[in-house]
Amino acid sequence: MAETVTIFIDDKPLTVAKGANVLDSALGAGIEISYFCYHPGLSVAACCRQCLVEVAGNPKLQPSCQLTATEGLKIVSSSPRVLTAREQMLEFTLVNHPVDCPICDKAGECQLQQMYFDWDAKPSRTILNKVRKPKRVDLGPTIVLDQERCILCTRCIRVCDEVAGQHQLEMANRGDREVLTTAPGEVLDNPYSLNTVDVCPVGALTSKDFRFTMRAWELYATPSVCNGCATGCNIEIHHRERKIYRLVPRLNPEVNKHWMCDEGRTTYKDVHQDRLAAPLVDGLPSSWDKALAAATTRLTAALDTDRKAVGVVLSAGHSNEDNYLLARLARQFLGLDRIYLSGKPPVPERADKILRDADVNPNTAGAKALAGAAAGPSVLESDLAAGAVKALLVLGSDPLTAEAAAAAASLETLVVVAAHERGLATQAHVTLACADWAEVHGTITNRQGKVQRLRAAFPPPGQALPAWEVLVRLARKLGATFEYPTAKAVFTEMMGATPAFAGAEWGGETQTVQLRFAGSRG
Amino acid sequence: MAERETKTIVLGQKNAADLDDELPTEPMQINMGPSHPAMHGTVRMVLTLDGERVRGADIELGYMHRCFEKEAEHATYTQVFPYTDRLNYVSPMLNNVVWAMAVEKLLGVTKQIPERAEYLRVIVGEISRITDHLTCLGASAMELGAFTPFLWMIKAREWLWGMQEEISGARLTHSYVRIGGVVADMPTGWAERLEATLKKCETALVDADALLTKNRIFRDRMENVGTLSAAEALADGWTGPCLRSTGIDYDVRKDQPYSIYDRLEFDVPVGTRGDNFDRYLVRFYEMQQSLKILRQCLAQIPPGPILIEDARFVLPPKREVYNTIEGMIHHFKVIMDGIRVPPGEVYSCIEGGNGELGFYIVADGTGRPYRAHCRAPCFAILQSIPRQIHGALISDIVPTFGMANYIAGECER
Repeated sequence: MAETVTIFIDDKPLTVAKGANVLDSALGAGIEISYFCYHPGLSVAACCRQCLVEVAGNPKLQPSCQLTATEGLKIVSSSPRVLTAREQMLEFTLVNHPVDCPICDKAGECQLQQMYFDWDAKPSRTILNKVRKPKRVDLGPTIVLDQERCILCTRCIRVCDEVAGQHQLEMANRGDREVLTTAPGEVLDNPYSLNTVDVCPVGALTSKDFRFTMRAWELYATPSVCNGCATGCNIEIHHRERKIYRLVPRLNPEVNKHWMCDEGRTTYKDVHQDRLAAPLVDGLPSSWDKALAAATTRLTAALDTDRKAVGVVLSAGHSNEDNYLLARLARQFLGLDRIYLSGKPPVPERADKILRDADVNPNTAGAKALAGAAAGPSVLESDLAAGAVKALLVLGSDPLTAEAAAAAASLETLVVVAAHERGLATQAHVTLACADWAEVHGTITNRQGKVQRLRAAFPPPGQALPAWEVLVRLARKLGATFEYPTAKAVFTEMMGATPAFAGAEWGGETQTVQLRFAGSRG
Repeated sequence: MAERETKTIVLGQKNAADLDDELPTEPMQINMGPSHPAMHGTVRMVLTLDGERVRGADIELGYMHRCFEKEAEHATYTQVFPYTDRLNYVSPMLNNVVWAMAVEKLLGVTKQIPERAEYLRVIVGEISRITDHLTCLGASAMELGAFTPFLWMIKAREWLWGMQEEISGARLTHSYVRIGGVVADMPTGWAERLEATLKKCETALVDADALLTKNRIFRDRMENVGTLSAAEALADGWTGPCLRSTGIDYDVRKDQPYSIYDRLEFDVPVGTRGDNFDRYLVRFYEMQQSLKILRQCLAQIPPGPILIEDARFVLPPKREVYNTIEGMIHHFKVIMDGIRVPPGEVYSCIEGGNGELGFYIVADGTGRPYRAHCRAPCFAILQSIPRQIHGALISDIVPTFGMANYIAGECER
């Protein structure tokens, strides 16, 4: 137990850990103090002067972000003197701020707008022309800077220094000519560069990918987990009308803190690519009834011929629920020995000690726990090449080597449950269209063994169904008694049956909320 | 009612005793509405008839339900104004006013609304009250065959709507009131033109009065029809002209004075019998009182601002929005986030055209209501209709229903 002290903010006693940040403690206790340069995930700069408070026994106002809690510390955050200071700092900040809200990406989620409206809300007194600065400064492959909008808080510099560990941004010049710029000889190209856009309190740093695509307040946010690698950064999916516009990190102190990598942010594009919207039989769109009947006929024939030559393939790219159902179907109802586990090949060069992992499958840990002694992708490939397997029921569209894919063409039966038309899904006899990660409720297990929750942002395209539901329907056709009304029912059973999932939680249902009203409901 | 004793008649057989008897009838079920000229808006009555007599009526509404309350949860407080216009669409201004009053009560700024704005709200509200009553009385007279007073009254209504259009820009769906005041001041010369219009309306009322109030046919159709006792009216939650026709003197303007009504002199007409004719008279005299109120307002209205001066609620001038970042942010926040109302619950009501019109709002601290409920006066009044017409003739349904002044938009919300 850490040592605690009592501090007084506006005469209200507050018990906090000794040495805690005073601004952070005040915000946590619901006492509102304006700030720009402070960020809970970064070091303190105290350069914006927006969080000034009175400290008992101190003649000058002090930035509360730089104060640490000591026993009996007395702070005044709502005196006329403090409020005037806040108002005047905002007036100063706005003197050279361009009238850009209608064309600014940050409008609607802009801290400057919020702070001005909450703490100043008065017209400007200046009659001088605004200082003009370059409006389209290319900082690197992902980011464009508008120097006029910048309020010089240095959060972005600290993100590069402290999160990515690379000093790529700097302040140059002084006074009203001060600008943010790249450090000499550098470009902003670190793999965590887009976090600078998130922390920017205004619309100075804009993502090239998101720039001018959608007004932020029109987007809907659904909490989920990134499927880019085994780290499982907590994210929010920002979407509208069944289209994802961006992924942004969501605070989880145990996994990703406030951050995520640039590559993870682009994974949303894949959700909308090569999608299967209807089940296919021999490459032609079909109805669910016909497709499931065709799959059942083929699989039953293969099972009757030679049960030893029939296999199933689990996927490290699918949720625990999907893998659990397929493994259960194979082991308990079909009595198969051939259980494989596929996944994308690792990318060792992307691994670092920050967030990025070499394993680019989101659920390797979970799938392994469920697959038990299943054989890996290399065994699958060699078995295919050797012709040892005649029929396969595959989950996912993970890539195979060219030789293995060629060998798969001679399979007598190939049934694939996949969201994308790639990998084995392109050559299957029956392809059953399923939902991708942003469209399902489920859980995935990250590299730390944490079971994290995926939430459906919108329904899958066309007739596609969540993979667990496809497997339930198929299993029933094959004669298995699968009774799962929801993904949660699968999870509950899996939790009881698999030691690796003991203690995992499904979590509450979170409503998708429009960013315009974010923080108000749900 | 006890079931009538039925007898079996064997056709083709003569029976001397039967010939003297009245032919027995079976109760007949028949639809009146939803598409019927006298079923204003759209409402369906399933009538049980015994010959010409009404033995039962089942009122089915919902044909004009537009989800006002649910819609309001997804709109900012300001965006709700256009929806309120479409509640009671013969007196939209009154709906505007009470929505603004409810939100202002939550914000705690009721006392800070500029005087001129209060006067303007009362002026447009009282004009609306007259148009409401003109529509009700004119349409009912027409349904009883009196087409001329209908035309005269609707003509007068049109003059008044012309005045509303001049001040708000829209003939019917005004959206004129804002949280913190009203959106626009009177145009130049509007007060004088209103005075001239009031004079014309007065003449029209005299003419209509001469054709209706002492008209034998009209009185025969209205008097002692659709009677309801004061106790029953209270039990059913009646308010407004309908309640006052039964002899109960309850008018929100007098009993819970709001806005500047305590500065105005007017009388509240009260009936004695609670029949359709009393409801007609109460409405008629109320229009004359409204004219009196309007004249007082025009004489008293002070100069000054028409909107509260609080940056949290009111949009800045366009010049500032386009040219300064402060004005731009301010405009953006008020439009996009909406006016942020502190958490709480509130009920606020006024005297609407049909009675006590109120809004109950639950706020959760954001820019849109967590829940909004409309207390529609004619909803309570409509529920008494089956009892009012029980045992009456089919032809009595029309004036009774007309005098209830059922407005589908308001009742079904």
